[in-house]
Amino acid sequence: MDRSVGAALRRRVSRARRTARRVGRAVRRPGGADVLERRALPLLAVGTALLLTVLFYYPVATVLVESVREAGRLTFGPLVDVLTDEFYVVRVFGFTAWQAFLSTLASVALGLPGAWVLARFDFRGRETLKSLTMVPFVLPSVMVAVGFYATFGASGTLNDALGALGVGGVDLLPSLGAIIVAHAFYNAPLVTRVVTASWESVDAGAVETARSLGASPRRAFRDVVLPQLLPAVLMGATLTFVFTFASFPIVLALGGFQYATVEVFIYSAVQQLDYAEAAALAAVESAVSLTLTALYLRYERRQTAERRDVRPLPRERLVPESWRSAAAWTRERLVSRLAVAGYAAVVVVVFLGPILSMIYASLTVDGQFTLSAYRFLLRRQVSGAAFQVRPLPAVLNSLAFGVATLAVALPMGVSMAVLTTRRFRGRVALDALSMAPLAVSGIVVGLGLLRGLVFGVEAFGYRFSASGPAAIVAAHAVAAYPFVVRNVSPGLDGLDRTLVESARSLGASRVRALLDVELPLVWPGVVAGAAFAFALSVGEFDATVILAEGGNVYTMPVAVERYIGRRLGPATAMGTVLLAVTAASFVVIERVGGGFRG
Amino acid sequence: MSRSRREFLTAAGASGAALLAGCQAEPVDQETPTPTATEADGAGTTAGSPTPSGADTLVVATYPPFVNAPSTSPGAWLKRRFEEQFDATLVYQTPESELNYYLERAIQGVEFEADVYVGLNTGQLIDADDRRGEGQFTDPLFAEAGDVEGMDRLRDGLQFDPRNRAVPFDTGYISLVWNATMDGGEFVAPETFEALTESEYEGDLIAQNPASSSTGEAFMLHTIKEYGPDGFLDYWDRLQANGVTVLGNWTDSYTAYTNEEAPMVVSYSTDQVFAAAEDQDLQKHQIRFLNDQAYANPEGMARFADTDAPGLAGEFMSFMLQPEIQAGIAQRNVAFPAIQDAPLPEDYSRYAQEPPEPVTFTYDELQGNVDEWTDQWARRFAGG
Repeated sequence: MDRSVGAALRRRVSRARRTARRVGRAVRRPGGADVLERRALPLLAVGTALLLTVLFYYPVATVLVESVREAGRLTFGPLVDVLTDEFYVVRVFGFTAWQAFLSTLASVALGLPGAWVLARFDFRGRETLKSLTMVPFVLPSVMVAVGFYATFGASGTLNDALGALGVGGVDLLPSLGAIIVAHAFYNAPLVTRVVTASWESVDAGAVETARSLGASPRRAFRDVVLPQLLPAVLMGATLTFVFTFASFPIVLALGGFQYATVEVFIYSAVQQLDYAEAAALAAVESAVSLTLTALYLRYERRQTAERRDVRPLPRERLVPESWRSAAAWTRERLVSRLAVAGYAAVVVVVFLGPILSMIYASLTVDGQFTLSAYRFLLRRQVSGAAFQVRPLPAVLNSLAFGVATLAVALPMGVSMAVLTTRRFRGRVALDALSMAPLAVSGIVVGLGLLRGLVFGVEAFGYRFSASGPAAIVAAHAVAAYPFVVRNVSPGLDGLDRTLVESARSLGASRVRALLDVELPLVWPGVVAGAAFAFALSVGEFDATVILAEGGNVYTMPVAVERYIGRRLGPATAMGTVLLAVTAASFVVIERVGGGFRG
Repeated sequence: MSRSRREFLTAAGASGAALLAGCQAEPVDQETPTPTATEADGAGTTAGSPTPSGADTLVVATYPPFVNAPSTSPGAWLKRRFEEQFDATLVYQTPESELNYYLERAIQGVEFEADVYVGLNTGQLIDADDRRGEGQFTDPLFAEAGDVEGMDRLRDGLQFDPRNRAVPFDTGYISLVWNATMDGGEFVAPETFEALTESEYEGDLIAQNPASSSTGEAFMLHTIKEYGPDGFLDYWDRLQANGVTVLGNWTDSYTAYTNEEAPMVVSYSTDQVFAAAEDQDLQKHQIRFLNDQAYANPEGMARFADTDAPGLAGEFMSFMLQPEIQAGIAQRNVAFPAIQDAPLPEDYSRYAQEPPEPVTFTYDELQGNVDEWTDQWARRFAGG
C-alpha cells in the first residue's frame, strides 16, 4: 500500500491557505473564539504544567524531601547513608544497572527485526499485527509470570517441545536469563513501535537520490535510512533501560530475591515504613534515570534534519505475487524471507508462548479442559456483593479511563511537543522535566499520590484532596503524555519550518497551522503515541488502586490482582478478558487513527 | 474528632459530584461538615452502599482477600450474619496497603471512617505502636478490647498483644507443602531444618522474601527460632548454597510450585482444604512440619481508638468469637478457629493439619528486632 501523502499534504496545505485567508479576514474583526484559538497552545502548556505540578512534582517531592531532611533539618543524611554504603552502591545499584543493560540489549535485539518486518514488508494483517504489538505492554506482571512459568519452566511447554524433539530440557527459571527475557517481552514491542513509526516517515526521495548517485542499497541504508532511525532506536533503548532499571515485580517473580534490584529495596523500605531510606534510594534511582533521559534528549536535538513533503518508502510484498515461479526467488529475496521466518519463530516462542500459556491456564485444571474459571467470572458478575470486584464494571472502567486518558494526554503531549521543538533557552531542561514521569519509580509516585493527594494538603483552614475517577484519569494522563511527546516531537522537529511559516504568513493561527499542516505530517507518531497512552492507562495499577482507595472504581488489572488465589483459573480468565478487550481496542485506535491520513 | 463521621456517612448517599470533580475541599475544624461537593451515589465508595438512615453503621477495615478472594472468603457471609443479629449495617473498607493506609492517615492527621480493623498480625501492631509520635499521630490508634465475650474460650498461645487491644479471631500455620509425585514419585520432604540443607534436596525449596510476604517473614522467623538471631544467617547461607529459591510473594512461589519448578514450597498447613475441594491430587499437596513445628501466625481484630461507634464495635468483636461464627470464618478463610469449641465439620480437620508444636515470637521479642532481622537477611541473601 503506497499512500500518496504528498498529494494529501498538498490538499491540506491548500485547505490551510483557504482557511488562513478566512481566518485572516476574521483577524481584522477581533473575535473571542479567534483569541481563544490563538491562545490555545499556551493555555494547554500552562494546563499541562499545572497538572504536572499537582499530580507529579508535588507528590513526588513530598517523598523525596525525606532523603535530605531529618527531624525538620536539611542534613542530606539518608542520601549520604545510601551513597556511602558499599552494599547499596555496588551490589544493588551495580546489579540493577547491569540487568537493565542486558535487558536493553535483548529488547533492542528482539524489537528491531520487528520494526524491519512491519516497516518494509506488506502482508495480510500487517496493520492488525502492528496494533497488537502493544498487547504485552498491558499484561499485569503476575500474568506474565504465570505464562513464563508455563512456557519456560522446568515442566513447561518449551521443555515438552524440546523433549519431543529428543533434545534435553533447559532450566530457565528462576534466573537472570528469565528476568531478561521477560523484560524483552515487555519492552521489545516498545522498540518495534517507535522504530516502525520512524521508519515509516523516512523519505523515499532521499533514498532514491542516494541510489541514483550510485550508492548500493546497503550503502543507501547506512547513509540515509540508518541516521534517521537511530534516534528512535536510542529512544527505545533509553526508555527500556529506564523501565527495567526500576523493574520490580518481574524481578521477584522470575529471578527471585537473589537478583533484587533497587526498586525491590525501595518497596521493602516502604513496607517497613522506613521512608528516609526509601526516599534516598528513590532519589538516586531517579537521578540515574533522569540523567539518561536528559542525555538522550540532547542527542535527539542534534539529530534533527529538516524534512519536507515526506513520501514513505514503498513496502515490499512479503510473499511475491508470482511466488510459485522459481524466478521470483532471487537469492537476496530468499535470504530476507528466511530471516523473516526465523524471526517469526522467535516471536512465537517469546511473545505468543507466554500469552497462550496464560489462556491455556484459564481453560484447564490439572490438564483437564474446564470453563469453571469463566463460570466464576459470570457468577461474580451476577451475584457478587457490592463490595466485591465484578468483571464487567472493570472492563467498562478500564475503557472509560483509557479513552479519557487519550482525550487529555494527546492534546497535552502534542502541545508540549510543539512547545519543546521551538528554539529557546532552557529547552532541554524543560523537556527533561516534562519527561520525568517516565523516569521516576512507580512506588515513589504511588506513595506521593497517597500522601500528597489522597490525604490532601491543609491550607487556609481547608484540606484539599483529590481522588476518584478524575484524579485517576489525570494521573494516567500525566504518566502517558510523555509517550505522545516522544513519538511526536522528533517528527515535528524535523519538519520544514517554511511550511508552517507560509501558513502563518497567510494568516493561519498557530493552532490552525498545527492541525492542518504539521500534524498530518507526523501522524504515524501521533497514532503510536495514542496507542502507548491507551496501553499505559489500561495497564496501570498502582495509581489506580491508590486514587480509588475507598472507592470502587476498579479496572481490569485490579480485577486480575483481586482474583489471584490458590487456583490460577479466575485470575487467568480475567487476564484473558483483559487481553481480548485491549487487543480489540488497539486495533480500533489504529484503524480510526490511520483514517486521518486520507 | 470534631465532626460526626456517621453524619458524614449518612449524608454520603452519594459521592458523585466529588468523584467527578475528583477533588474536595473540606473544612479542617468545624462542627458540621459543609457538603461542598459531598460524596455522592453508592457506586462511589467502598464505604458506600447506601446506608438506611436510622440504622447504625459499622465500618470494618480489612485486607482485600478477606472479602474478595476468588475461592472462598468470609466477608459476604459475615456481613449477612452480623446484620441478621444486629440492627446495623456492616460496611467494608479494603485498602490495598492494609493497615499502612490507616497509619499514614493518622500521621498526616486525616480522619478516617473505619471502626474496627480485622486481620492484624503482631508485626503490624508493632508498626502501629512504633510510628506513634510521628506527625500528627499522637493518640493511640487502637483501644483496649475491654469486655469481649468469648475471650475465655480462646485457645492457648494465640493472644499476641501484651496490651490486650488485638483479639485473635483465627490462626494459620506456616509449613512446607510438598509434591510426592516428583522425582518419579520418589520424592519425600525432609523432616528437619538440618536435612533441608543436605545435597539430596538441592534446588528443591521455594520460599518468599520476608520483606514483601507474610509467609516469607514467618519462615525466616522460624529459622531464627531454631538457630537464634546470631545463627540464622549462617543457616540461610547454607540454604542458599543448597539452591533455595526466594521469590517475591506467596502467589509467585505457589505458581512456580504448581508448575513443578521445585517439589517444596513454604505455604500454609491448610493447603489440602483447597486441593480437596477442587478434587486435586492430594499427593501434590503434602504437608511437612519441619522439626515437628510450624510458625503460628494468629490474625487479630482491634477497635480503632477514635471510633464513634465503640459499643457496636465491641459487639462485633464478641460476635466474631461466637462458636458458630468461628467455624464459619475458619472454613471460609481457610484458617484455624481462635476458640476451642468451634463446631467444624469432620473432613475439615482431616485436611487442615495442625503442627504438633506451634512456635511463634511474642510481641516483645519481635519489637525492635524484626526490621533489623529482615534487613540483615536481605543484605546477606541479595549480596550472595
